[in-house]
Amino acid sequence: MERVLVNIPSNPIFERVVRASADELGHAIGLPPDRVEDLKLAVSEAVNNAIAHGNQREAAKLVEVIFVLDADKLEVCIRDEGTGVGPVDFSPRFVEEQNLDSGMHRGFGMYLISALVDEYDVSTSQQGTVMTLRLYRKEISNE
Amino acid sequence: MSNEVIRREEFGDVAVLHIMTTSVDTNSATAIEATATLSAMRPITVLDFANVAFINSAGISALLKFVVSARKTGHKLFAMNVSPHHQKIFKMVEMSRFMPTIEERDLASYR
Repeated sequence: MERVLVNIPSNPIFERVVRASADELGHAIGLPPDRVEDLKLAVSEAVNNAIAHGNQREAAKLVEVIFVLDADKLEVCIRDEGTGVGPVDFSPRFVEEQNLDSGMHRGFGMYLISALVDEYDVSTSQQGTVMTLRLYRKEISNE
Repeated sequence: MSNEVIRREEFGDVAVLHIMTTSVDTNSATAIEATATLSAMRPITVLDFANVAFINSAGISALLKFVVSARKTGHKLFAMNVSPHHQKIFKMVEMSRFMPTIEERDLASYR
């Protein structure tokens, strides 16, 4: 098992650093290109969520991202330094006409995570929130 | 180096808005939204994704401003040069219902 740790301040520009790491690691473990894109998007959503909702965009608070690579999967843990969040809604969200008219254009992120990774879970407490994403290398083992 | 997020091209009733940033994300969303004005719309408005390598939910939200402006003006909005991955994402959130894809060759008759 190998671990890669990335810490970023709660500034959205640094989300791109984590995304670039996800890109490199996804390719390094041999995920197919479309799965690497899934990984990058899911990690992006989780990190932006940690910045905005976990750390409330307080730049001094860090988002810690740990990539754990092993033989059958890539696991990504995204941890914030906030005081916990309410229930996270992973239900499907679609663009709907009534939402367009009312200006409600947000809320796709958690749904995209749930649809793009093989497994995900969230634990939250007053010490912060940890979102864990897993993508299995099944395409490789099936070859 | 230019910082323009959208480069505009017009011919006839068509406006092609070439997205120049590679990441349509939290960092570029505000600048993209700022270009999605009612006056930016033409009877046929096309967003060109040829340069776009990444789109997340914040980017989708920004792009929806173009959908809103197109609806308000009664104009048609299309997407062009959308990667297979982004086509998948647009389909997942049903964005493609409001911004169907168009081929560049389909615009030739308007030039």
